[in-house]
Amino acid sequence: MHTHSSIRTLDELKEFLHGAMQLEHATIPPYLTALYSIMPNVNQDAAQILRVIVVEEMLHLTIAANVLNAIGGTPDLTRPDFVASYPAYLPDGETDFEVGIQAFGREALATFLKIERPAARSEHLKAQSPLIHRKSSQHKTVLGSHPRNKDLHFYSIGEFYAAIVEGIKELEEKAKREGQTIFTGDRSRQITSEYYYSGGGELFPVFDLKSALDALELIIEQGEGDGGGIYDDDEHELAHYYRFEELVKGRYYLKGDKPGHPTGPPLQIDWDGAYPIKPNLKVAEISDGSELREATVAFNHRYGEFLALLTRAYNGQPNLLLEAVPVMFEFRNMMLELIRNPLPGHPGLNGSPTYEIGKNTADPYAAHRAEAAA
Amino acid sequence: MLFPSESALRVDPQAVAGSRDYDIVIVGSGISGAIIAKQAAEAGKRVLVLEAGTGANRSLVGYDDLLTTFYSAAAKDNQSPFPVNANAAMPRSPQLRKLQAGETDSSTYIVQSGPYVSDTTYTRIFGGTTMHWEAKTPRMLRSDFKSRTNYGQGLDWPLSFEEVEEDYRLAEQEIGVSANVEDQSYLGQTFPDGYVFPMRGLPLSYLDQQVNNGIDGTSVDLYGRIYPLKVRPYPQGRNGIPNPAYDGGRGYRPVGAVNTHQVEEGGRCQGNTNCVPLCPVQARYHSGKTLAKAFRMNGKSGQPLVELLPQAVASKVVIDPDSGKVSALEVKVYEDPRSPVYETITVRGKVFVLAAGAIETARLMLSSGLRSTSGLVGRNLMDHAYLLNWALMPQICGTMRGTSSTGGIVDLRDGPFREKQAAFAIDIHNDGWGWATGAPTSDLLELVDDRNLHGRELRQGLIDRVSRQLLLAVMLEVMPVESNRITLDPQFTDALGNMRPILSFTVPEYTMRGAAYARQFSRTVFARLGAQDHTSYDRSDFGYVAYEGQGYAIRGGNHLAGTHIMGTTKTNSVVNKNQRSWDHENLYLVGGGSMPTIGTANVTLTLAAMCFRSGRDILNYLH
Amino acid sequence: MSDRIETFLGLSVELTAFSRFDLLATGLAERYLGTLDKVVGGDTTNTLLAAFAALPPPGDGTRARALRATILGSELLGDVARSLIKLWYSGTWFELPYAWTQRFGAKPADATFVVSPDAYVEGLLWKAIGAHPAGAKAPGYGSWAYPPKIPAFPASDTKADAVSVHLQNVGIMS
Repeated sequence: MHTHSSIRTLDELKEFLHGAMQLEHATIPPYLTALYSIMPNVNQDAAQILRVIVVEEMLHLTIAANVLNAIGGTPDLTRPDFVASYPAYLPDGETDFEVGIQAFGREALATFLKIERPAARSEHLKAQSPLIHRKSSQHKTVLGSHPRNKDLHFYSIGEFYAAIVEGIKELEEKAKREGQTIFTGDRSRQITSEYYYSGGGELFPVFDLKSALDALELIIEQGEGDGGGIYDDDEHELAHYYRFEELVKGRYYLKGDKPGHPTGPPLQIDWDGAYPIKPNLKVAEISDGSELREATVAFNHRYGEFLALLTRAYNGQPNLLLEAVPVMFEFRNMMLELIRNPLPGHPGLNGSPTYEIGKNTADPYAAHRAEAAA
Repeated sequence: MLFPSESALRVDPQAVAGSRDYDIVIVGSGISGAIIAKQAAEAGKRVLVLEAGTGANRSLVGYDDLLTTFYSAAAKDNQSPFPVNANAAMPRSPQLRKLQAGETDSSTYIVQSGPYVSDTTYTRIFGGTTMHWEAKTPRMLRSDFKSRTNYGQGLDWPLSFEEVEEDYRLAEQEIGVSANVEDQSYLGQTFPDGYVFPMRGLPLSYLDQQVNNGIDGTSVDLYGRIYPLKVRPYPQGRNGIPNPAYDGGRGYRPVGAVNTHQVEEGGRCQGNTNCVPLCPVQARYHSGKTLAKAFRMNGKSGQPLVELLPQAVASKVVIDPDSGKVSALEVKVYEDPRSPVYETITVRGKVFVLAAGAIETARLMLSSGLRSTSGLVGRNLMDHAYLLNWALMPQICGTMRGTSSTGGIVDLRDGPFREKQAAFAIDIHNDGWGWATGAPTSDLLELVDDRNLHGRELRQGLIDRVSRQLLLAVMLEVMPVESNRITLDPQFTDALGNMRPILSFTVPEYTMRGAAYARQFSRTVFARLGAQDHTSYDRSDFGYVAYEGQGYAIRGGNHLAGTHIMGTTKTNSVVNKNQRSWDHENLYLVGGGSMPTIGTANVTLTLAAMCFRSGRDILNYLH
Repeated sequence: MSDRIETFLGLSVELTAFSRFDLLATGLAERYLGTLDKVVGGDTTNTLLAAFAALPPPGDGTRARALRATILGSELLGDVARSLIKLWYSGTWFELPYAWTQRFGAKPADATFVVSPDAYVEGLLWKAIGAHPAGAKAPGYGSWAYPPKIPAFPASDTKADAVSVHLQNVGIMS
């Protein structure tokens, strides 16, 4: 059995980078759902924070695609298992934890903090095997596992990325010794900030070891922070973990604040100010023939089209990212509609996007809702 | 863009009054004051900015409160996001009524003197009118600076286009203009070799494209000269796609929303179709973005160089009789927008900059008894005159989407015809007939209440009625006329006892001749598009003007200018070409009021460029 | 959901031609029923709901005529139903006509008002035309360069609602 964590071949590295893309994408559905579950006129601070983080996860996804492209890979977001089946599982040291689709609330926030928490091994664990063996069920999506064997888990997301960083360094060093490089990708496939930008970090082309390491560092630091500091290394960007912590503490961080002690303006959370969606809803649970079921399937269909569009954008047509922007805004409307509709047969619970992509692919909605533009 | 948190704290008025170390005191936090404050801070100068409004919209929460106010307003006029504040009142267009000649209406903040009533507005809050501007940023044309010489109309500027060009580029950088040089190189406009705008041009709306399909390749004949027609994109002061070639290949980093704690908003324009009255995501520039940069600059001792005192209404400019210089400003500081209780403080500095907009700056000068040697303070009031033309396109055009306006017909901004009649630029309004009729709400009411539609027929009716709307808003040149003016009268005062502006304005005949032609021009365009003309001007309209047997409803453009024009001598102008008062050497009157003509360019870009010039002059003066 | 809100939704579907799903998707159904109760009173609201419940069943050729006769053309209910249509489409309750208040008495809460900030945002008018409310639900950078996506609605007698559009030649310019 393969129990070594190190990456030995370029193909293996490509698989790890696909795993990184899957991992970065996997946080988007839970964050987006929580964001759009928030009721109007309340929780505006929380909505802002969630929105920023979603935008940055999209950035991370794109950065991972840039790195994969730089080593001659072909990002594919349409692989059947690309979208996690929720609840999915993320490594948390010795155990996994569950990441589900649920409404904004204390429970969701606790999960989000776990996702973004810097996980450091305690001293006595440091000598141990980097990979942890845990039997996973056939149908579970286990993120941050070894691409070849999903029973082998990394200790943390951080270690998963550390393995990628080491793999890139070693493979490039080896290639250099042979007068070659692993960075053979076509530079025109790189997505740059022209096509995508936010306040949170810029997209830059990846074409050599340095730019690849910079790119991966940005992903790691925006999530977890810079080992102790609340801001990432250029003192610009508050790490995700601390943004979520602002919500727990009810106060914003200011520059110079110590972790756990924000001193900025207070913020208000209304823990009941979210629609009561049924967690991890599946299409099969929605009454057949209901409008809600049709709309849920239509959303999944559209989401699949979005991932296909992104795949084309990441494969030499960066311009298509501009077309993807309106689709993301369209999701917002579709999700809001699902989330505000009561779930038939489940009093007190509402609908939700299910993110079952590639299943129920036929779009029964098309007949009803053909977007007739005129 | 992060505000330092201390700038969010309220500055103590007594400390301000006791301070003797301000190099520059600026009245107004709009774009003019912001640019000068930032330039001065970069040079290490101490600056005080006085703002009449509450300043609550400095934080994202305060800004978003404006948005909620807008959502909640039954009448969504261009001031609807901004709460009523009697201590810093502002004009609001829904309150206007038709007046007879000689009739005065003092029921609104601006006292209107009939018969023509102007619905022009400006915004007295932190950020000034850039909080509600549409952010179209065309440059003035070369010929606009010499309209007296070229066409025998209006006045020449004491500056040429060439002298202003570099400052145009600075203004485009500060505002963050999205445009393509190739789209803007019409009518002989030129740009330095290799110049690109900070961000790429915003795409034309589908509506613009439909209009262009109908007129591209056609032309009009005016006094024997042929003018080709097409829809051209407007340069826009809102975030688009950064151009990597900007600044010699260094690119441009867009400036997002301002706030006192970390937030990422205000990236690329999302197409909220609400530039006026309020961009909900701060993708559109407002001067808070410039001020946020200024507030971050610290002096040698680590103290912030720029202070903002909100709820501070300058009420008097005090002149030292010996030197003729300004010695102080009297400022009324109120405690609460809901109460007229205030204290008067005296603020001292080395240089004073009045940057309160053309009407408020003139009002402050006149209420201080400062008419200037030329007697021109308050005179030559200008604002673009708008003539609205509306029609239904034969096909669905997807109206109500985009920025407020992405494109227009601008090829009649210049030509020999300007010897006889006003030039114009036409905006295609992506929000359809909204400005003219109150669409789409007015359409809904008509279809439900008068046409008795419901269900499917109502849905189809709305598609047919709204998605095909085309509004051509013709923005006409208005030349300076001394009798168009702001005056004061002690009988008309506001809650703080400050005298309110009285506006007397007649649309000049030159402009009306242009308007009459623009109406015919619009009919020609509609005919080429096969569009049904629905335009009608009501005699009872407050802006109704009869000209040569026809009537036209003229709207104000909120492009206020000319109340303290610049010129070559102290007898023909109020300020020199650096916007410095001829009479008081440490006083600068900046903004649209200094412009001797406005051509067919929305005024903000030009007045921003002028402020860079003034900022340099102020720094020279202080050295 | 109570029978009362179900009847209200049924009436609203008929008046607006938006589906029950679309109406619930605004999150405002109960608030709008509450607005009717508050402005015209529970009795008139119940009269309106009862008139709707008494219509001939769907598919009956006389239903449309009955709707006009007993609701839209009713002296008491017509203006209320029209205000309800306008409420769904705009989020604003529009004051009832003068003639109505003259006849049935002025109602203290009957003024023109936006029910809540989100009511403006959820106005169906914008959805009907494939646009978005000014200042909210932005469609994203550059979306305006493309033809509108106007949702189709339940088949009508004519085919007018299924106009198709060709997407070529409308790439994002520049």
